[in-house]
Amino acid sequence: MVVAANSSQTAAGAEGRRPSASARGAYEWTLLVVASLFGIVSVWFVGTIIWQSVSTFQSQGLYLLTGVNWVPGAGTGQPSQYGGRAMIIGTIETSLIAMVIAVVIGTGTALAINFFVPQKMKTFVATVVELLAAVPSVVYGVWGMLVLAPWFLNTIGPFLSSLPGGTAVLGTTVAGKSLLLAGIVLAIMVLPTYVAISREVIGAVPHELVEASLSLGATRWQTLWRTVIPTARIGLFGATSLSLGRAIGETVAVSLVCGGSVGTTFKPLEPGVTIAGWIATQWGEAVGSDQIGALFALGAILMVVSLAMSMFSRRLVAQQRRAAAVV
Amino acid sequence: MTQITSSSEQITSGEIRAHLRERSAATLRRRIFVSKVMTVFCWAAIVLAAIPLVALLLRLFVKGIPVLLKSGFFTQLPQQPTLFDQTNTGGVSNAIIGTIAMIVYATLASVPIGIIVGIYTAESDSKFASVIRVIASTMVGAPSILMGLFAFGVIVVQLKLGFSILAGSFALSVLMLPVLISSTEIAVRNVPTTLREAGLALGAKPSTTSLRIVLPAATTGIVTGAILAISRAVGETAPILLVIGGAYAITWKPNDPGSALSVSMYQDVSSSYDSLRDQAWGIGLLLVLVIFVLSFAARIWAARKQKVQR
Repeated sequence: MVVAANSSQTAAGAEGRRPSASARGAYEWTLLVVASLFGIVSVWFVGTIIWQSVSTFQSQGLYLLTGVNWVPGAGTGQPSQYGGRAMIIGTIETSLIAMVIAVVIGTGTALAINFFVPQKMKTFVATVVELLAAVPSVVYGVWGMLVLAPWFLNTIGPFLSSLPGGTAVLGTTVAGKSLLLAGIVLAIMVLPTYVAISREVIGAVPHELVEASLSLGATRWQTLWRTVIPTARIGLFGATSLSLGRAIGETVAVSLVCGGSVGTTFKPLEPGVTIAGWIATQWGEAVGSDQIGALFALGAILMVVSLAMSMFSRRLVAQQRRAAAVV
Repeated sequence: MTQITSSSEQITSGEIRAHLRERSAATLRRRIFVSKVMTVFCWAAIVLAAIPLVALLLRLFVKGIPVLLKSGFFTQLPQQPTLFDQTNTGGVSNAIIGTIAMIVYATLASVPIGIIVGIYTAESDSKFASVIRVIASTMVGAPSILMGLFAFGVIVVQLKLGFSILAGSFALSVLMLPVLISSTEIAVRNVPTTLREAGLALGAKPSTTSLRIVLPAATTGIVTGAILAISRAVGETAPILLVIGGAYAITWKPNDPGSALSVSMYQDVSSSYDSLRDQAWGIGLLLVLVIFVLSFAARIWAARKQKVQR
């Protein structure tokens, strides 16, 4: 958490480094060898996941991305069908719901902590937020399943369905567990992370800027919206992409509240599945069959997406930093 | 000609001024209104964010404390409740031992490597170091379940060691490594350059400077980072769920299948027995307490150390 927030700063701050030593002693060699070991582990990591999923990519082809059926063929004499459409769409849908809620509420919270909460309370609130970010995701999942799901079934679900067009757009909930609930649990789960980082980046906005804006006659909100948020946008983007990464890869919390059925409609109030959740719930029966390969293939998709996202956000942040430096 | 225009200009500019004054008053009213609405929104956001989190912690404590106080929760093996004896859940002693064992093995494996790689990325400015840096920061954000897949692929498939505590600790150590690397790198970089230069100026070798001057100065940051990495691993569920195997016995042996608190919690909550689902709250509370204690310890220790250094 704190680590992640800081690591972006190190990337920017060009700190003084010692002149590189020309001669390598035992110390330098140890560092180099262990670092190479880590490099090898990371290559092994990517390689293993790709390697285990190759056979499924070959047998299923594009069906893995677009197919609707998930039918292991073992014992039936039929070829296995592994379609990942429901998992992929479910992952996108739950993450989107989570990010919309988390970014809107989280940014508001971060602004409030920095500008509205009394100075004395600030450290306390910040500590609480960082502690909450450390609560394991399985706890959020259990709470969502035992507390939120019944409430969703009896109160929220029927209410949303009764809105005009509610059933057509949102569907009806059967057990409370649904993609919408999964999105909300994810939002609650990533909120502390998002707030912890965005509080820091918003707090780092130079006070002169805020004062200049206020002295020009801007209202408090105009200052926040037109000065503070644009100044902090790079950091806010970093917080968003980190939270999105957590939401996409979250496994146990989602699998406890998403309903776990391979659907075709993807209405928010109906049950669904996500990639990571599906891997965890199918794992027990998959071991020893060709379904393992299919789950590895889903894992490979997840890995490629998260790799691409982190590269994209790194590039964008670097670009923005350069642009900011020029101005 | 000039007079006429100037007089007409005066009239119109007066009108314009009145008009502008009126309009600016209207804009000001609107701006203030919007500002007030958005201030209310920010307060609403903080309340909206706090409600579920407070509710969650409250529920966790209210439901969890009775479970923790139940006799045998820490010492007994789990029991499967039956229809006739629905509250007979036993304890989670095997999961406690399993979690401790896995954390210890994972820490032993990952902390030394993570710290050394972190020192390397902090001190070297070669191309390879920046590659390692990028890999580490990418892996920090990688979904944790992928570490479970990796551990399965390596320990179970490639090395044929089976579902085991070892496989779980392998997954956890791969998970902790990038976190440790980043936190160590930051800690080492935060040591003032002047310290290092002072060491070099006294004629010490670069390696001696690093080991005897820079590292001691960075210890606080490194240890804090390590504690935070450990506390992250304690509650991690997905990766070990895939490879730990699940066992109803107490075992420290790396090659035995084991159990873990987070995994037991995940399995208990899916049970149809109320007693088991209640027990999940107790395990959750235990996890949260351990993690809070760890991160508090890290904070207090770091704060005290800093004071001493000043």
